[in-house]
Amino acid sequence: MKISREWLQTFFEKSLPAGRQGLPDAEALANALTFHAFEIESVENDVLDVKVTPNRGHDCLSYRGIAKEISAILDIPLISGATTLRDANEAFSMEMPIKVQIQRTDLCNRYIAWSIQGVKVGPSPKWLVDRLLTMGQHSINNVVDATNYTMFNLGQPLHAFDASKLKNVSGMFSISVRVAKTGESFSGLDKKQYILADTMLVIADGHSDAVLGVAGIKGGEASGISNETTDIIIESANFDGVSVRKTAAALKLRTDASQRFEQVISPELAGEGIRAAAKLIRELAGGELAGFADQYAALQEAKTVSVSLEKINAVLGVSLQRENIETVFKRLQFPCTCQGDTVTIEVPNERLDIVCAEDLIEEVGRIIGYDSIAAIPLPKSEKTPHVNPNFFAEEKMREEMIEKGYSEVITSVFSERGERVVLNKVDGVKPFLRDSFMENLSESRMKALQYKDLLGLKDAKVFEIGTVWRSGKEEVVVASVDAKGTSAEEIITPIEAKKYANYAPSSSEQYQSFSKYPYIVRDIALWVPSKTSDAEVLEVIRHNAGELLVRSEKFDEFKKGDKTSFAFRLIFQSFDRTLFDGDANERMESIYMAVKELRWEVR
Amino acid sequence: MESNRERGHIHPISSLIREANAIFFEMGFELAEGPLLEDEWHNFDALNVPKDHPARDMQDTFFMKAEPGMVLRTHTSPVQIRYMQEQVKKGIEPPYRIIVPGKVFRNEATDMTHEAEFFQIEGLAVAPDVSMAHLKGTLEQFFEKLFKGTSVEIRFRPSFFPFTEPSVEVDMRLVGEKAPEKLRDRWIEMMGAGMVHPSVLKNAGVDPEKYQGFAFGMGLDRLAMLRWGIDDVRLMHSADLRFINQF
Repeated sequence: MKISREWLQTFFEKSLPAGRQGLPDAEALANALTFHAFEIESVENDVLDVKVTPNRGHDCLSYRGIAKEISAILDIPLISGATTLRDANEAFSMEMPIKVQIQRTDLCNRYIAWSIQGVKVGPSPKWLVDRLLTMGQHSINNVVDATNYTMFNLGQPLHAFDASKLKNVSGMFSISVRVAKTGESFSGLDKKQYILADTMLVIADGHSDAVLGVAGIKGGEASGISNETTDIIIESANFDGVSVRKTAAALKLRTDASQRFEQVISPELAGEGIRAAAKLIRELAGGELAGFADQYAALQEAKTVSVSLEKINAVLGVSLQRENIETVFKRLQFPCTCQGDTVTIEVPNERLDIVCAEDLIEEVGRIIGYDSIAAIPLPKSEKTPHVNPNFFAEEKMREEMIEKGYSEVITSVFSERGERVVLNKVDGVKPFLRDSFMENLSESRMKALQYKDLLGLKDAKVFEIGTVWRSGKEEVVVASVDAKGTSAEEIITPIEAKKYANYAPSSSEQYQSFSKYPYIVRDIALWVPSKTSDAEVLEVIRHNAGELLVRSEKFDEFKKGDKTSFAFRLIFQSFDRTLFDGDANERMESIYMAVKELRWEVR
Repeated sequence: MESNRERGHIHPISSLIREANAIFFEMGFELAEGPLLEDEWHNFDALNVPKDHPARDMQDTFFMKAEPGMVLRTHTSPVQIRYMQEQVKKGIEPPYRIIVPGKVFRNEATDMTHEAEFFQIEGLAVAPDVSMAHLKGTLEQFFEKLFKGTSVEIRFRPSFFPFTEPSVEVDMRLVGEKAPEKLRDRWIEMMGAGMVHPSVLKNAGVDPEKYQGFAFGMGLDRLAMLRWGIDDVRLMHSADLRFINQF
């Protein structure tokens, strides 16, 4: 979620920390969050992109959630009133001109509707336009902007309907939260047509049965707020996360609202959200509260979680005192009580992630900072570890093959044929699980033969130790193709052993990327005085061949009198183009010239 | 002297597994394995990944035709469950220490840094008193040996995985003269880790009141890329000897 430092500051009286010299101010916040809460994807113009983890989608897809984190991490107090999530029912004491009916309370636990009359729809003030822009949203009008702003600020998605577009029967509006009919169509605020299914939850006009919105995802075009709107109904509800996720996926319509419901939010938040939105709407657009309805099926239960100091220290591997723990919980605003060694906290409503003692241990660990955990080696093992018979056998086989000059490859398990088929392969190709990988090995060998000069090979031999699926079983086999192209395969049989042979790993230090372009081979044979070594000759060749020479090796040598004949194979290749004969000829000419000067005789 | 038969070449992934096994064996860890074609219970449920978790949706996991409930394992973690269940069945109580190297799958399009098939190595240590401090110590030791006597610093950042609580991302920094220049003094994200979630222990039949443990899981392809400066993950499965014969 995008978090602007300027907006976040509204939760604090004290100035948020500034960045170190030369760094944006948001950098200090980025560091605090990185090491105590969330990964930061980017920092740009004092706007952080915070990667809220799935367990904290309940409360941290909001400015307030992030502000609470910053407050706990940096120990800066939040302004009063910004912190508690209270039940909003106390304010609802008016006559009820809206009737709300929920067909499936398992999919909609709470639905609040407020009616506000006499609003004046118009442009939003600059501060609001700017703040929404940092969230990637363009301003629509003061009413819609107020609902969106409240969603980002507190995490509760909201929606505003034009009340005049709803049917009014003897002064009563009726809202029905129901399952859609299969094939029912709906025109969204995005002016797109959606065909609904009976697994999807919708908001409908209880009198006309017309669909007003897809629950928790998108409002409808017909009841959208326009410049002519004067009376509105604000919706603040609590929809089931799984249902919203499935519907959003089916309609290919993921919105800021659906994203928040998918993460599951506290039903208590609905009350707070609607009060905040209504307050902002009335500040920006005027209007009077004309009535409300609040259907709340299952009240959120108060929860406590306990953990002992001993357990915290045992899991983190630290030695904290009770005061340290109390300080952490105080900074997190978790009301806590201590009894002996045990600390019990009252879980704040929005912290749906806190369920067991380990969850509290994580809170302690991250707030004190994981850097305060020292590295301690594990105590020496009491028992000698068992040698894995399959791995032992694989390693033995691997070593034997490498000893014999084979190269080990690993190829894909996906194949054109086999007995078992993958249902949903993204790229659609090779959907089978292989019953053999012999073809892959032959292909690898054939390809290697094309490069044999480049690789300095006389022949190519390859093997793989890998899994196949056949005769209803998954098994590990070794298969190989030798220099003649003959293939062999056998099942790896486990070997019991007391200890591993500990074969040497690769001695390679650094990989050198290779050119994708074709190479040119040139041979050179020459007579040199018998006291001249092949290394000296190669040195001269390499020096004069330039950087296109990627490989050079001696392939022949014989003596005649006081002279030796050497033959070398030279490979020319470029990293950025296909070489022409002329390129190689030019290099060879330089070599001939140098050789002539040394009075060596080219044969 | 040239031997009449030239030695062949080991795949870099096999080489890393060989080295990792040797280092961890010394530290008392045994190597464990499990099937690549796994059931959803071991791959997800037992690891505290709830039924309606997005990771179980179609785009990330390979499901099998006509074999409901079977998936190509998305991580090596189901082997934690299999190993612990097996021990419990044999009546062997913790301490347990295992490493699990092996192939895993993600149903996604491939590019220079993403492969649908890749390798992971998983570690698990369970005992009455295994802590996050031990996790730090173990990883520090492992990387110091893997990077041949280089000084290694380990750093944790908060993260989330359903199967660990607390969960952390692990960064590594190689310091000192012996560190390869390209990697020296730079924090590098290496893996996810944490303390095994009590529900996971419970699902495997281990009493979370008596035992606790750490677990970590790291990508071997990425480690190989860092170690040898390999620029394209697809080379690992290319069977191209221009690549393999450099090892």
